[in-house]
Amino acid sequence: MSTLQNIQGNAACAAGAIAAGCRFYAGYPITPSSEIAEQMAARLPKVGGTFIQMEDELGSMAATVGASLGGVKAMTATSGPGFSLKQENLGYAAMTETPCVIVNVMRGGPSTGLPTRPAQADIMQARWGTHGDHPIIVLAPHTVREIFEETIRAFNLAEALRVPVVVLYDETIGHLVETVDLTPPQPEDIVTRTFASGPAEDYLPYAAGEDMIPAFPRPGDGYRTHTTGLTHDERGFPTQDPQKVDAFMKRLLGKLERHAKMIEKTESVEVDDAQVLIVTMGTPARAAKTAIRQLRDEGIRAGLLRPVTLWPFPEAALRAAAKGKRAVLVPEMNAGQLILEVQRVLGGAAPVSGLNVFNGEPIAPQQIAQAVKELVK
Amino acid sequence: MNEIKVTSADEFDIRDWLRTDLMPHFMCPGCGHGIALRALLWACHELGIGKDRLAVVSGIGCSGRTGAYIDANTFHTTHGRPLAFATGLKLARPDLTVIVISGDGDSLAIGGNHLIHACRRNLDMTLVLLNNEVYGMTGGQVSPTTSAERFTTTTPAGNMEPVFDACKLAEGAGASFVGREATLQTPALKDLFKAAIAHKGFSLTEVISDCTEIFGRKNALGSSPEMVLKQKKVMIPAHTDNRVPEPFKPHPFETGVFVRQERPEYGEVYEALRARVREKGK
Amino acid sequence: MSGKAKNANGDGVTSVLVVGVGGQGVIMVSKVLATLCQEHGLEVKQSEVHGMAKRGGAVFSHVRFGRQVHSPVIPAGEADVLVALEWAEGLRWLHYLNPETGVFISDVRKIIPPFACRDRGRGVMPHYARSTPRDVLEKVSVGYAMDATDTAARLGNERAANTVLLGIMSTTLPFSENAWLETIERFVPPKTREVNRAAFLAGREWVKDATVPQGEVLPQVEVDPALPQARNVWDINPAWCKGCDICVKFCPERCLKLDAEGKAVMVKPELCTGCRLCEMLCPDFAIRLSKEIPEKVSS
Ligand SMILES: Cc1ncc(C[n+]2csc(CCOP(=O)(O)OP(=O)(O)O)c2C)c(N)n1
Ligand code: SF4
Ligand code: SF4
Ligand code: SF4
Ligand SMILES: [Mg+2]
Repeated sequence: MSTLQNIQGNAACAAGAIAAGCRFYAGYPITPSSEIAEQMAARLPKVGGTFIQMEDELGSMAATVGASLGGVKAMTATSGPGFSLKQENLGYAAMTETPCVIVNVMRGGPSTGLPTRPAQADIMQARWGTHGDHPIIVLAPHTVREIFEETIRAFNLAEALRVPVVVLYDETIGHLVETVDLTPPQPEDIVTRTFASGPAEDYLPYAAGEDMIPAFPRPGDGYRTHTTGLTHDERGFPTQDPQKVDAFMKRLLGKLERHAKMIEKTESVEVDDAQVLIVTMGTPARAAKTAIRQLRDEGIRAGLLRPVTLWPFPEAALRAAAKGKRAVLVPEMNAGQLILEVQRVLGGAAPVSGLNVFNGEPIAPQQIAQAVKELVK
Repeated sequence: MNEIKVTSADEFDIRDWLRTDLMPHFMCPGCGHGIALRALLWACHELGIGKDRLAVVSGIGCSGRTGAYIDANTFHTTHGRPLAFATGLKLARPDLTVIVISGDGDSLAIGGNHLIHACRRNLDMTLVLLNNEVYGMTGGQVSPTTSAERFTTTTPAGNMEPVFDACKLAEGAGASFVGREATLQTPALKDLFKAAIAHKGFSLTEVISDCTEIFGRKNALGSSPEMVLKQKKVMIPAHTDNRVPEPFKPHPFETGVFVRQERPEYGEVYEALRARVREKGK
Repeated sequence: MSGKAKNANGDGVTSVLVVGVGGQGVIMVSKVLATLCQEHGLEVKQSEVHGMAKRGGAVFSHVRFGRQVHSPVIPAGEADVLVALEWAEGLRWLHYLNPETGVFISDVRKIIPPFACRDRGRGVMPHYARSTPRDVLEKVSVGYAMDATDTAARLGNERAANTVLLGIMSTTLPFSENAWLETIERFVPPKTREVNRAAFLAGREWVKDATVPQGEVLPQVEVDPALPQARNVWDINPAWCKGCDICVKFCPERCLKLDAEGKAVMVKPELCTGCRLCEMLCPDFAIRLSKEIPEKVSS
């Protein structure tokens, strides 16, 4: 049977989730993400899973984390206003190290903004949306096929590292239909969290080994642990002891760095000989690829670095790619968010300029080509 | 020669259900939440619930903190959201007995939306709503159940807002089991919990609890024992015709089981749906 | 005994640390002091920390004043005066006091704090709370330990204990009695002005011939040696009991009592019917009653 199908980005996201082993979805309808909920509502009962439409996004995030606390792979999806509402309980997932996947199909903001138009204005919210220092992974696919792949990878990372993972893409790709191969991954490519095993006596739920990831105590397995959003010690109970707090926070924040290799992912297109480096993600990256071809036809050498894992930001890859470039261009569908990180990482090593579109229209290849031409003038 | 062998006639020892290394608990002297916790664990004991299969999900507040002392799978979640967390947990793990511990602020103010929808949905879990008429944890602000004219830190001139009657609210929202009891009646409270936990579907059990240290002092309600005794003065056992006259006064409250009906349980309904789609898929 | 805060002349910086638990009036003491300093043309920095935002959590306040004050925080070992509204809190902060010149002022009453979930072994008393006033006063340069709560209670309102200690503290600082009294008036509810005035003066007066109070002796529990048919055995865990008095007042036979430490003790075991009301209503699970039924076993 051919696995080639014409499928919409949001549907590919649902397909990826099911393939990754997701068996619980709690959501609240919001354009342009609702198709994910509709797909999950149809697909989950067939595979023995559960779909529930909650009363709001606070509740849907809570239920998602609740299901994962029960040991089941869980996901929720939303868009701007709903993403804001999910933040508190997303922080709870980060604090309690509960694996979960949150999809944010970005639309124009602020507030109700442009419900049906694309934007990329949640780049910083995805990283810093919930209060307090916290670990989070954000993946930024740019094609329908990649939405499928990255949703699977989101589950794998969430489960492996006990961290919330955000899949972040804009309305354009969410609603885009492409012909793609959705061959499900091999079973060995699916990651499920390590459940605690061994004696329950003296068991410490938040004591981690070298890998900094504690095994997950599944309710019913006899560990009877405590889970709290309060800062806790290795036993899982609240502590304010500065030493314990420090050790806990260092592990919580440090675990992603420890596993940076597993997390990091970028795509480079014709970077080596480029005069101008374009750094962008999502839909504008598609435009950038077209622009690069046009520019090269005209003898202007441009290249693209695309963070597929957006957060933690691929700092080393960017530094390497930007080396010796005349200029760096950051096209994005917002008033300038990704550029802040690019400037921070490059610290003046190359001149960085932005191309910002926030009128609800995607960025066109010509706009990028034009901007590059300005830079090499 | 005769030898005397001594056996204890007692069954329930709360210490078997506590994380004793965390005791003494953090609650203030005389706090009613402690008495409610005893009744709850007593009910679990009498129902023969295995601690490994017991999941206690709690919100934020003094009420929410009580969960940590239970030797079970305990989840101290976020303010107002424990019912939503519990919904996910119970749907993912129908094999667990799920009990939610929450406060009047937690369930009726910030978490009001989750409460009414949990009542409507009828997923099998038990809400223990510890009503002390105040936000204890944050130092005594007004709550949706603060009686009229009571003083709190945010009602310096006395409360002017009408109150919620949690039981009527739950009944209106379709809960299939609703009851109320006071901490003073510990054995009756235990029996209410037993009935609620055994009930298949969503149960709301409201507990008349006392915040002795903050609400009690602020309103000169007397010492801890005096506060507990006052419960008796305003308590009306259910099914007398003496219903709460109006919700706007420091009010007497009815106790007992108000609603107990068989309604399709959400988890079972969903399981039937799974069976149907599997059948169709064949 | 007498003592003056070392830097109290206003040249250098004087540091006063006020500690206690929620509801005792730590902030009132520090506000009175800060206001007084400010009105005398000194620069004042006052910072306060509430442990848990509810009654019974630790509360402390740093007050620093002088011609010029930069940091609002008193480093350990540099407080000139430590005023403790509660004994155990006082001991906990003792290392903040300047070991050579610091003045220690404390109520000898202990309050059972509502402990947060934290690393405590079952039944372990914090070791510092065991030190007696005599032990402590020997260690500090100048120390005043009095039962301020009792003094205030005798004056008509035990909540004025903080003002009694303020009275003691006032003798270590260079402001006039009238200035103190006027400032205090502004910070207490009008109805309690009189009792606070009396409390302040009582504290000042007491300093003149301050002595260390004797520790009280705990009453011993006597258990009836005669073994009844079904024997009631009480296990009252003093480490869990917070002295709420519920068991004492509800016991139909009046068998229980709070001891000097505020812990429930069984005083009339012979009257106990084994009704368990005490056990069921104890919010702290401190009472466990078991019934031992002797059965004859022939061998
Ligand atoms: C989102 C959020 N808002 C506010 C708070 C602060 N807060 C903590 S507990 C509480 C009120 C608790 O009152 P209640 O539910 O009645 O519990 P009680 O302490 O009285 O048992 C509030 C407002 C919080 N933790 N989170
Ligand atoms: S503040 Fe009130 S509700 Fe909270 S522990 Fe103290 S008495 Fe109980
Ligand atoms: S009821 Fe419990 S806590 Fe209160 S005094 Fe009696 S034993 Fe102590
Ligand atoms: S069991 Fe009954 S009679 Fe005995 S001490 Fe307790 S309350 Fe009093
Ligand atoms: Mg409350």
